[in-house]
Amino acid sequence: MSENTSLVSAGSRIARRNKRYVVWFYLLNLAFAHFGAATFSESVHGILDHSLSADKLLHGFNLAVFTELVARPEFGTFPGTTRPAMMFAVVFFLASLLFMPGVLLGYASDHRLPRDEFYRACGRNVWRFVRLFLFFTVIAGMVAGILFGVLNALVNAADKTSNERLPFFSQLLGTVVILVILTAIRVWFDLAQTDVVLRDQPAVRKSVVAGFRKTRRNFGRLVGSYGLIAIVALAVLAGGIVLWYAIVPPSSVAGAFIVSQATLLVLLGTRFWQRAVAVAFCVREMAEPIFEDVRPVPVLAAPVVP
Amino acid sequence: MHLRLRVVVCLLAGLVAHGWAQTGLAIPATTSAINSATPLSQRVVAYDMEARYDAKAHSLDASETLTYHNLTGQPLDTFPFHLYLNAFEPTSTWLREGKREGTRGQNFETWDNKSYGAEEIKKFEVVGQGDFTSQLQYIHPDDDNKDDRTVVQVHLPTPVPPDGYVQFKIKFHDQFPQTLERTGWDRDSILGAQWFPKVGVWWYGAWNCHQFHAYTEFFADFGVYDVKLTVPQYEVVGGGGVEVGSVNNSDGTKTVSYHGEDIHDFAWTASPHYLVHEDTYQGSMGAVKLRFMLQPAHWSQLGREVGALKEIMERFDRWYGTYPYKTVTVVDTEPGSPAFGMEYPTFFTGGTSWWEPEGFRFGSVETIEHEYGHQYWYGMVATNEFEDAWMDEGINQYTQIKVMDSLYDPSTSSLNLFGIKVGQRDEDRLLYLGGVDLDALAQNGWQYADNNSYSSITYGKTALMLLTLEGVIGEDTMRQAMHVYFTRYRFTHPTKEDFLKTIEEVSGKDLRWYFNQAVYGTQALDYEVFKMDSTPVDWYKENLKEKKGETEYICNVWIRRKAEFVIPVDVEIKFDNGSKVRERWDGQNRWVRYTYQKKAKIESVEVDPDHKIHFDRNVFNNSRTAEENGAPARKLANYWTFIGQFFAQFLAWWLV
Repeated sequence: MSENTSLVSAGSRIARRNKRYVVWFYLLNLAFAHFGAATFSESVHGILDHSLSADKLLHGFNLAVFTELVARPEFGTFPGTTRPAMMFAVVFFLASLLFMPGVLLGYASDHRLPRDEFYRACGRNVWRFVRLFLFFTVIAGMVAGILFGVLNALVNAADKTSNERLPFFSQLLGTVVILVILTAIRVWFDLAQTDVVLRDQPAVRKSVVAGFRKTRRNFGRLVGSYGLIAIVALAVLAGGIVLWYAIVPPSSVAGAFIVSQATLLVLLGTRFWQRAVAVAFCVREMAEPIFEDVRPVPVLAAPVVP
Repeated sequence: MHLRLRVVVCLLAGLVAHGWAQTGLAIPATTSAINSATPLSQRVVAYDMEARYDAKAHSLDASETLTYHNLTGQPLDTFPFHLYLNAFEPTSTWLREGKREGTRGQNFETWDNKSYGAEEIKKFEVVGQGDFTSQLQYIHPDDDNKDDRTVVQVHLPTPVPPDGYVQFKIKFHDQFPQTLERTGWDRDSILGAQWFPKVGVWWYGAWNCHQFHAYTEFFADFGVYDVKLTVPQYEVVGGGGVEVGSVNNSDGTKTVSYHGEDIHDFAWTASPHYLVHEDTYQGSMGAVKLRFMLQPAHWSQLGREVGALKEIMERFDRWYGTYPYKTVTVVDTEPGSPAFGMEYPTFFTGGTSWWEPEGFRFGSVETIEHEYGHQYWYGMVATNEFEDAWMDEGINQYTQIKVMDSLYDPSTSSLNLFGIKVGQRDEDRLLYLGGVDLDALAQNGWQYADNNSYSSITYGKTALMLLTLEGVIGEDTMRQAMHVYFTRYRFTHPTKEDFLKTIEEVSGKDLRWYFNQAVYGTQALDYEVFKMDSTPVDWYKENLKEKKGETEYICNVWIRRKAEFVIPVDVEIKFDNGSKVRERWDGQNRWVRYTYQKKAKIESVEVDPDHKIHFDRNVFNNSRTAEENGAPARKLANYWTFIGQFFAQFLAWWLV
């Protein structure tokens, strides 16, 4: 636990020292989501801005009126509204993939990383990160596919019993287990990414293998740290939504914006905290000499040929 | 009296009593299951059934003795019977329609043999006329599906005279399906509905006995039911009417007996898991035993369900009329069962879940309200559900709005969770907007364009058109009309005109203009504030400086009727000096313009400012403000942005 705590604390220190990365990523996240919401925004402004019926959506939230609104032909189609948001989410993912090497290098560095070094790290590692992403997708996809398949079968079996709560709790427990396993895979690839950046490793498969070994040897410590931060993230999300509901008057657009965005900023921060934990771990590993159980190779005398 | 005349009278009396005298048959006039000293309906049928349920095979073997009283005024030599369970054969009309339209969430992408259900008549005997088993004929009065076996007909060589009786003795075997809709088994439970051969209704000079369709319901005559169900002893059993006995048999089974009066169907259920709670409601005709059969996981919802049902019963008793039966049984079906939310006389299936929060009223409370409402609009006022589905579902949906809105705040009578609200009338609007103008209310249930249109029109539009009618004749008058309709037509089979004429009679108004559009027509309703402007009278003057309260304006407002439905509407114009003007437009033309000259500009215009019209298909264009208010849209855009950001973060969290 103390080791966990120290890793979590070390990660926290790194993340706090480099807050600017979280802020930049948050601004990217906000900007892309704003672009993604443009079609939606335009449609609802067109219908609501001069209508007294909009009151039911401002002073409270009438779900039926909202549904009626989005069903209006002038609102546009559902895919037409959701597709931009999805596309900009993918753009944010690509931006994260592109800029993460710079962040990791910045986290490992004991000084403020100059901008050119940041971008150089991003440029040098972009293809490596794409390959790591493909590795991750294949492995995590296969594992998730198998585990969710098993879970589905379990839940179906539970559904055949007369215990109504059993399918729900089977689903819940199974999902938690799968998330822990997927978190372990995420730890593995976070370490691999960090390894690629810190060692400037062009052969990403070596980093993948190294990441796997490190995760296996330090499973409890690393997954525990990630799990702890994930719980903090969940608490942040839940707390933010409760706060939003409890203290922000329904008609306060600015209040809702501030609380919701603060929640998302802190939520994003927790992921960077996990990243910082991976960096702290790798930096320590690199600093510590690795003692391996190397036995002396027996030297045999060459056979004497008479 | 002259001797010859006396002889003629005696002969006539003898002829009238022919059926009785010949067969010694009668429909029991008992009143042990109702809070009334005399029968409440004109009892046409008496079903006496003994059934043995095989819980492992989900099948049933039964014998049925049906006594039929010919009150048609003419001799009858043909009798059709419903065999509803044959709907669960892959070639049935029900399944063909279900495959085409989907029903109760079923898409029938593939056929599962567990879904198979059937009802086989093993023996069909007419007392005094012989065995007709081999002469039974399947008929399909509604379509050309020769493979549909949901209606069977028998032709008798000797007609049953007017006022005569006939008795059928039927042995049959049921194979219940895994529940697809309304009836069947789920896990180790059974909901036995539409499970016995049921005679059609002689209605307006002809037999009314429709095939089982994907989304229509039922129609049957009132009478007396005596049912003995033999089931394994571990089963907890419930049924319509009053339980009159339960005997354990030596073979590990038990026989539970039910007796029902002035009802037109009998459904039952059995499960080893039900937890039973009994309570009493003191109605204005006497005590009613409330029997709740709950799933163990739902026991925590009991208090809520009992409280809700009592409140609902009180509203119906006070507003519409008395509940005369001695029992009502509420069955909480297996989780996920498509048998949930269905009505049978004195017995209905509810639906809830173990996690249901108080603010979530879509579930248990709303279902209890709806299905209890059917005890009135179907159970007692027994309309033809095949041909006038709106008269049971829609009228019931309307009274549901009234009752639920009296139990909760109207804006939250369906949902009130974390600031998210839905009222009953909002819910019906959403239903209505799914169809709007594809079909008229007055339409055979199976002839709607699709399932969506059926739900939209029979439930949503009916409820909203009756709610709108309140605005035309007044809420109190409407309630009085509903009360008169109930008391006048309970225990009968009224038609749509019976209902509409009752409203006209009570309100003292000719409402044909409304009914022709709302009931018989498919017109959509859509009024719009088309445009408005406020132009200074002295607009032509150079350097005109407008001053609030001093500058005089010519204000124009255009209101437009965008669709075909014509209804008089109020229009409210608000000016920026605080003054208001109300206009009444008959809506006959496509548009109307109102012009005012005032020292004020128009602030806003609203059609139907009291919100009395509930089925305008677009409420957003019913009003227009001069000033733009972007706050509501910004609020929604903020929600959308939040969701988009969260989704993007989630994606990046896992993938990078």
